[in-house]
Amino acid sequence: MSTVTPVEKVIRAQDNRFSNAKFLRKSLNKVFPDHWSFLLGEIALYSFIVLLLSGTYLTLFFDPSQTETVYHGSYAPLEGVPMSLAYSSTVRLSFDVRAGLIFRQIHHWAALLFVASIIIHLMRVFFTGAFRKPREVNWLIGVVLLVLGLVEGFAGYSLPDDLLSGTGLRIMYSVIQSVPVVGTWLGYLLFGGEFPGQGLIPRLYVMHILLVPGILLALISAHLGIMWHQKHTQFPGPGRTENNVVGHRMFPHFAAKSGGFFMMVFGMCALLGGLAQINPVWLYGPYDPSQVSAASQPDFYIGFLDGSTRLWLPWEFRGGGVSLSSMFWPTVVLPGLLFTALALYPWLEAKFTGDKEFHNLLERPRDNPTRTGIGAMALSFYGVLMISGGNDIIATTFHISLNAMTWGGRTACILVPPVVFYMTRRICYALQDKDRELEIHGVETGIVRQLPSGEFVEVTIPKPIPAHVELTSVDGDGVTRHEVEGNSVLTKGARAVSGFFVERGDEANSKTPDEIAGQRK
Amino acid sequence: MPAQDSVLGRLKHSVSSSGRVTKRGESEGAGDAGDAIDGPPVSVTGIVATDSSISDADGDGGASYVGGTGIGDVAPQRAHGVEDLDRRQERRAEWTVAAYFGLSTIATLAFVVTDLIGNTHRQYYTPLLGTFLGLALGGLGFGMITWAKKLMGNEEAVQEREPHFSPPEEVAAAAAVFSKGVETSGIAQRPIIRRTLLMASGALGLIGVVPLLNLGPMSGRKPKALGETSWRLTKATTDISGKPTKGIRMIDQTGRPIKLGDLAAGGLLTVFPALDESKAEPNTFGEPTLQVKGDSTVLLIRLHPGELTGKHVDGTYFDHIAFSKICTHAGCPVSLYEQQTHHLLCPCHQSIFDVTDGARPLSGPAARPLPQLAISVDEEGYFIATGDFNQPVGPTFWERG
Repeated sequence: MSTVTPVEKVIRAQDNRFSNAKFLRKSLNKVFPDHWSFLLGEIALYSFIVLLLSGTYLTLFFDPSQTETVYHGSYAPLEGVPMSLAYSSTVRLSFDVRAGLIFRQIHHWAALLFVASIIIHLMRVFFTGAFRKPREVNWLIGVVLLVLGLVEGFAGYSLPDDLLSGTGLRIMYSVIQSVPVVGTWLGYLLFGGEFPGQGLIPRLYVMHILLVPGILLALISAHLGIMWHQKHTQFPGPGRTENNVVGHRMFPHFAAKSGGFFMMVFGMCALLGGLAQINPVWLYGPYDPSQVSAASQPDFYIGFLDGSTRLWLPWEFRGGGVSLSSMFWPTVVLPGLLFTALALYPWLEAKFTGDKEFHNLLERPRDNPTRTGIGAMALSFYGVLMISGGNDIIATTFHISLNAMTWGGRTACILVPPVVFYMTRRICYALQDKDRELEIHGVETGIVRQLPSGEFVEVTIPKPIPAHVELTSVDGDGVTRHEVEGNSVLTKGARAVSGFFVERGDEANSKTPDEIAGQRK
Repeated sequence: MPAQDSVLGRLKHSVSSSGRVTKRGESEGAGDAGDAIDGPPVSVTGIVATDSSISDADGDGGASYVGGTGIGDVAPQRAHGVEDLDRRQERRAEWTVAAYFGLSTIATLAFVVTDLIGNTHRQYYTPLLGTFLGLALGGLGFGMITWAKKLMGNEEAVQEREPHFSPPEEVAAAAAVFSKGVETSGIAQRPIIRRTLLMASGALGLIGVVPLLNLGPMSGRKPKALGETSWRLTKATTDISGKPTKGIRMIDQTGRPIKLGDLAAGGLLTVFPALDESKAEPNTFGEPTLQVKGDSTVLLIRLHPGELTGKHVDGTYFDHIAFSKICTHAGCPVSLYEQQTHHLLCPCHQSIFDVTDGARPLSGPAARPLPQLAISVDEEGYFIATGDFNQPVGPTFWERG
């Protein structure tokens, strides 16, 4: 060795302590496959980091106390109003603390983004079969992360002790109370007595800033660690097999892009936090059990439970000296069943299909019509509940009878999912047929030829593979890839957006399979 | 440099045979560290050659079965001529990235300045902070991604996956080691130890339950029954002069007692029990506490004459009727009243109750009527409740019966 570079010095110094040079090299060279849908999980991760950063700032000014105080501050409409310290410190945080409101709003927007991106990431993983062996445990961790995300979101939403969140807590108390045998005691223990109690806000605070984030952080680390160890799945395509990973290396490409993406997610949250008002608690007023505002809505991720509660029939069982509240079924049993089914899905699918193989290549949704049908069915059920969660607002806005909305929702949550399942499967099969036809029959040329026998046939040519698919196989479905055609604003926009994240080749240099075959010879 | 040799040696096999290796322009980014590390062939072919397995032979645990056959390798497959950058284009991309970074810097400074000298009470404050922070972060993000896309070359690397499972011998060995350990501990042969260990662990688990039970009411008093509210008359319920009263007066949100005639026909008022009468000024009361409001909030409704008939007249006074405001479904305050139809609507889950029919639920998820509070008027003309509700208030709970 003639010269030792400074980088080498640093790595040697590290290696002498941790003997990690090999690990470091492997990590820097680790290959990540490239597809826009792989960014969805990253959004969840990055919004979690935004939540940690913005949340830490908020804890410096928020006072999680239910002690009564009278407001004297810069927001005139609340002057002299009795309220809890939790609420008054939230109002103070919003109006008087420097950069308080912006970070409060960033925190709330990032929370919505966190849950939303987890849900969409989950959909991606589900519909492409990424949860299959050997990744079932990571799926399970993901489901737990989603549930914890909902809990964490609800806890945070409830902390300001405003009229809206207090109403949510009142309903939550009833949900807890509805649990057979132990419900009454559970409610007492959690709230420190009969509602509203004195203990809840401080306890929610500890849950919200320590307990749940700690578990989230641990599980997210496990989620990423397992993904790192198992390597990411990829879509099928030229050169891609079950046994390799094709994409960009960790350093510098992936690191630069991913780092940039984090900045963009944070930047988006900052823009939303600055420009789009969210949860203006000073307009709702402090919590008062005797008041409620019309059209009270939870954050979107609780909406489906609100919907199921609205749709459920008034069935209450009484007898033997005990009562079973109707609340129990739509708010405890239903989510329990839904999340259990979700958590167990990889094992259920493996059991029913007998598929015990290792899978590193993803499936397109159409390749597995039954799974896609099940997913679409579940989503449609979720969608009906979600819409029903706002049925009063829809009824008012569109002048529909509220009763019709309720009964419509009740009917739809039973009828729509099977129909959606059937339709989705049919669409998947039709798409498969179309692919197959395109592969066998080729593209129509519009040239009609007469054969010597007098028969007319249309000339078809094999579908050309766009150059970027041949070269980078970004979309991974080889010959059957369909280009986004057209010049409307929307398709142009779609191209621009995906072009920003995904490298595209020179489309003008597209080659037909024949040309490619010729080249390979 | 044997290691380097082995990299190069293997490279000959690892390089994709697709034959579509395209030559990058001479303007290849000079700072490409990957190239520098992995040696000369890279700059010649324009392929970023990488290799993760040089030292696989000197073996971590996996080496025995992974072998030196290139598993863990990163091999370049195809470099595609996406942007055959000439110098001008490259310079432009460089300036674009620099502009983004510059914008980010300016926006960060603007954020800090706005934060320090801006007026928190002005309307511009939060939107400006958000815009500057968004630009500061977004500029950095756009810059980094543009840099990666335009100037870091366009490698496409291929890496072999390591097998997801260990060879059967390895599994068998692990199982044997564990079984051996169990055997050494003797847990199977020593049932006394096993059972007492289980017992002790179980007992220890109970300690976890104790703090949970300690979460209960902190006052130390025995909690009042859930079915009971502050309207309940006790022996201790006396008026200011110490005489037992016939009932508890009703006050509004501000503590003002409600007199007969305060409500017009068709009107409705949210009332609370008058609990702490001021010693200094008789008939003035403190505002109801949140805890009292939690279960003792009442809707006092005055109907038009003749609308209450039959058994529904019980517990009412001169067309006035009082129901618990706490919904029997999920406990929200039932706060929307339709005067013409006498319907009460809960805004949370849209249960509808009929005031003239004992607050029976007409539609929605509520299963039980709102509990009624028997009312009367005392000698001074103030409304009183003559006892607690006719049923437990609020949502259904297990022990309700």
